[in-house]
Amino acid sequence: MAFLALARRRLVARNDSEASAREDFSTLEGTRAFVLPRLIRRLCHTAALAVVFGVALSSTAQAAGALAPPQVGQIIHLHAKHIAFYYNRFVLTAQGNVRVQTGDGATVTGQVFTMDLKLDRFLVAGHVTVTWKGGVLHGAAFSDFLAFHRIYFVPLTTEPDRWTYKNGDFAHPLKGRQMPGDTFDFAHTEGQRPFLTSSSAVIGADSYVRFGPSRMPIFGVQTPLPSFYIGFSSNPNLSQNSLAGSNADITYNITGNAYSTTAVHLRYDTQNKFYYSFEQHLADANKYLVFSVNPLSLPSKYWNLVTGAALSSRFQIHTFSQLHTYQYGFSQPLEVQQASYINLTQAFAESAVQANFQFVNYSLLGQPASGFYGPSTSPHYWIPNHPSSLQLGATTFDHKIGRSPFHYTLNYGIGFNHSSYGLQNFGGVNYTTIWNHYVGGTIYLPSLKIGERYNPYKAYYLNTTFSAQRQWFSVPHHVDSTDLLTSVSRIFNQRLSAYVSYEVQNTGDYYNAGQQVAYSPYVPIIGGVSYPGYAAFKGVATLHTLSLGATWSPNPNFTLSVLARKHTDFPNPEPGLFGLPPTNVLGQSLGMSYLGQPPYDITGDVRVRVLPHLVLDVQRTYFFNFGTLRWSPQFVVQLIP
Amino acid sequence: MIGALLACALGAGAPTPLRITARLLDFQQGFVFTTSGDGFRVSPHLRILDAKTGKPTAEQPAPRLYARLTFDPKGVVTELDLSRTKLPPEGNPAEVQQFAVALSPSYPNPELAPPKAVNGFTPVYTGKKVLVVFTVRVPPTTPLTATVYMTTDQSGWNPQAIPMNRVDALHFQVSRVLRSGTKLRYLYDRGSIQSIEYGRNGMQRPPRRLLVSNADVRAVRNVVYNWADSSPTGQLLQPNAIPTPYNPAPFPNLPPSPPPPPR
Repeated sequence: MAFLALARRRLVARNDSEASAREDFSTLEGTRAFVLPRLIRRLCHTAALAVVFGVALSSTAQAAGALAPPQVGQIIHLHAKHIAFYYNRFVLTAQGNVRVQTGDGATVTGQVFTMDLKLDRFLVAGHVTVTWKGGVLHGAAFSDFLAFHRIYFVPLTTEPDRWTYKNGDFAHPLKGRQMPGDTFDFAHTEGQRPFLTSSSAVIGADSYVRFGPSRMPIFGVQTPLPSFYIGFSSNPNLSQNSLAGSNADITYNITGNAYSTTAVHLRYDTQNKFYYSFEQHLADANKYLVFSVNPLSLPSKYWNLVTGAALSSRFQIHTFSQLHTYQYGFSQPLEVQQASYINLTQAFAESAVQANFQFVNYSLLGQPASGFYGPSTSPHYWIPNHPSSLQLGATTFDHKIGRSPFHYTLNYGIGFNHSSYGLQNFGGVNYTTIWNHYVGGTIYLPSLKIGERYNPYKAYYLNTTFSAQRQWFSVPHHVDSTDLLTSVSRIFNQRLSAYVSYEVQNTGDYYNAGQQVAYSPYVPIIGGVSYPGYAAFKGVATLHTLSLGATWSPNPNFTLSVLARKHTDFPNPEPGLFGLPPTNVLGQSLGMSYLGQPPYDITGDVRVRVLPHLVLDVQRTYFFNFGTLRWSPQFVVQLIP
Repeated sequence: MIGALLACALGAGAPTPLRITARLLDFQQGFVFTTSGDGFRVSPHLRILDAKTGKPTAEQPAPRLYARLTFDPKGVVTELDLSRTKLPPEGNPAEVQQFAVALSPSYPNPELAPPKAVNGFTPVYTGKKVLVVFTVRVPPTTPLTATVYMTTDQSGWNPQAIPMNRVDALHFQVSRVLRSGTKLRYLYDRGSIQSIEYGRNGMQRPPRRLLVSNADVRAVRNVVYNWADSSPTGQLLQPNAIPTPYNPAPFPNLPPSPPPPPR
C-alpha cells in the first residue's frame, strides 16, 4: 500500500511539474532566483519516471494476483528488566519481569526469556503465567516453536504436566504428548559479552529485531542509542542498496520492520575521506525501493533512487535514478546533474529480451549568463547536453552442444542513441543520432578433467571460452571484437589452488574507405616525448595476457591470493602514451583491460578476519618500474562487516 | 582409625543416593523443574548447597542455574547443589525419568517419528559440524579480475560476507563449516548487490536453499548463468557516477589527436 500511495503522489507530482516546467522555460530561463523551484519540479519529473515504471506497475501485478503474498511472521513484543542480544549467536536473552506478547494474542510472563532468532523459537521459564482470551494458565515453562506453530507448556495445577498446543489453539491442549528433546533448552551464552542491552524489543519472526532505547559497548564505553534494528530476513530485497563502495562503512540501522529499514552510514573512502550517508529501504518479496543520499555531509551529493519489481515469473523491471548536486548544506546548488536508467526484462522459453533506456541531463539548472555557477576561481560550468539511449537486446539461454562438453549462447540487439549536441564527428558530419545493431555469441568449455580423473587433488581442469561480436553503426563503420580465454587449474589440497590462463583479445574498428580519416597515422608528442611506434596503429588492437593466480586459504579466517600477469599488447603500452583507466572510490581500476596496460603486474590480496564480524582486506599491485610506476598509487583497504 | 573403618563399612552398606546434574527451569510449589521439562517433587526438608563448596548457600533455585539433584529412594529430591557454571555430567537422566511427576500419561508424538529414507538416504540433523564445499561455475563473460562472493541470510545479505577463491577462469570455491540442521539461503554476487546473480532467463532469482544434514563433507555445485550488471545492451548506471555520453569508439583512452592542419 505504501508503494501505491507513493506512486500516486509521484504521478501527481509529475503531471504538475510538466505543465509548470513548460511555462518556466519560456520566461525564466537563466534567472537564478527561480532556479530552485524549477529544479524541484524537474526533480519530481525525473523521479516520477523511475518510480512510475518501477512501482506503479508492480502494484498492478499485485492487484492481478500474479505473485504469491509475502510470508509474514509473528510479531513478538518483549519487555524485561534486562535484555541482552548476542550477535554472534543471534540469541536474545532477558531476565527480570519478563513480559511477552505474542502475535496470536497471548501474554506470557515469567522470570527469564531466551530466543534463538535463527531457530525461530523462544522460551519463557520460571513462574510462568499465560494469559489468553479464554483464561489464565500457570506453569513452569512455555516454549513457542514459531516456525512450526507448536507451543509446548509445562503447566502446574495440582501437579506438573506437559501440554502441547497446535496452531495457537489454547482451548484444546494435547495433554501428555511427547515433546522434542531440546524444547526447554537455554541458549548457551556463558562467557560471551552481549552486543547490546535494552529493556524492550519487537521481534519479527524470521526477519528482524528492533530494540527500544539501548546501550552498546563502543570502545569499552556503554553508549546509549535511541533504538537499534537488526535484520536477518530471508528476503534479499531488503538488502538492495544504492550506495557506492567504500573502504569502511559503519551502519547504524535506526529503525525498521519486515518491510523497511532506515539507516545512517558513517563511511570512509580514499576520495571523499570521512562522511555520512542516509539510506531508506522498502521491500517485499517481489519489489524494492531504496532511496539514499551519499555523501550527505559533503557538497558533492548523490541522491539515488533504486526500484525493482518482478511483475511475473517472466517479466521484471528495474530503475535507477541518480541526481548529483554540488551544494553546501542544502543551499542553492552550483551544479545539478541527473541520470536515469530503466531496464525491462522479458523471459521466453529459451531466450530473454532486455530493453534499457537511459537518459542524462548534465545540468538541470538554468543557463547562467557567465556560463558557470560559483566563483570564477572554481567555476561549476553549465553543460547543456542531455543525451538519451535506448537499447533492445535478445540473448539465448545457455545451451549445451549435443553431447559435447561445449556450451553456447547467442545474442542480437539494436540501439538508438541521441544527443542534440552531437555524439560523433566523422567526415565533416556531426552525428546527433547513432543507430547501432550487433550480433554475437559465446562458446565455452566449462571444465574438462585431465590427468588423474578420480583424484580431485591430482587432476587438472581445462576450460576455454571464445566470444565474438560484430557491431554496426549508422556512422559508416563497424567494430569486431573477439576474446579467447583458456585456463588450466589445479586444486592441490583444501588450502591451495592455482591456475594459469592465456587470453587474446582482438578489437578492430573498421571504417573501410574512411579508415585513414578515422585513424590517421601520426606520431603523438606528449610532454615533449614522441611515440613513433603509435603511428602503426590503424584502429585494430590485440591484447595478449598470460596470468598465473594462486590462492592459499589455511582456514576460513585467512586468505592470501596472488595474481601475476604479463601483457603483450599492440599498440605497445609505452609509459605516458595512453590515459590511465578510471578508478572507483576504493582506488580499484574500473576497466578490466585497456590500451596501455603495463607489461608486467603482480597483485597481492590478503583477507583476514580481525573480529568475529569484521574482515580486513588489503590489496596492492606492483608494476615493475613501468615508466615511473612501481606500486599502485595506494593500498586498497576495505573493512567488511 | 577404627572409627574411620567403621564409617566406611557402614557407608558401603547404605544404598548410593541417585544423583544427576541438570539445568533448572523453575522451582515452585514443591517441585523443581529441569530443562528436560520434567518436574520432580522436592522434600520439605530440602537442603540447598553450593555445588563447589558443599556448604549451604543463600542462593535460591532459579531458571538457568546449574544444579546437582539428589534423590531419595522414593524419587523425592532431597538436596540441590547450585552452580552458576556448568557442572560436569553426573548420573543418568533416564534413571530419574521414572520420578518425574505428570498428571497425564505420556503418549507418542507422530511429528517426532524418525524421517523416512529417501532413495536409501535418511537425513539426520543432530547439529554435527559438517564441512560444506561450495563450488560455483560463473558465466563465461565474467572478467578474469572479478571476485565472487556468497551472500547469505545469515550475514544479513551482506554482498561481501563470504569471498570465494578462484579455481580457474570459470570456477570459484569456498569451504564453510556448518552445523547439520542449518537452513541456509544464499546467492552469489561480485561484491555488490548490483552485481548479484540472475537466473538462466535473465530474471532476478529467489535465494538458493541448503539444508545441511549429517555428513563428514558435503559438496555443493551451482551454476550462475547471469550477473545483474552484465548487460550486453549498453552501459549500466553505477551509484555516484554520472555516465558519459554514448561513445561508439572501442578505444576510450587513445592519446590526444593531432591538431588540425593549418589553413
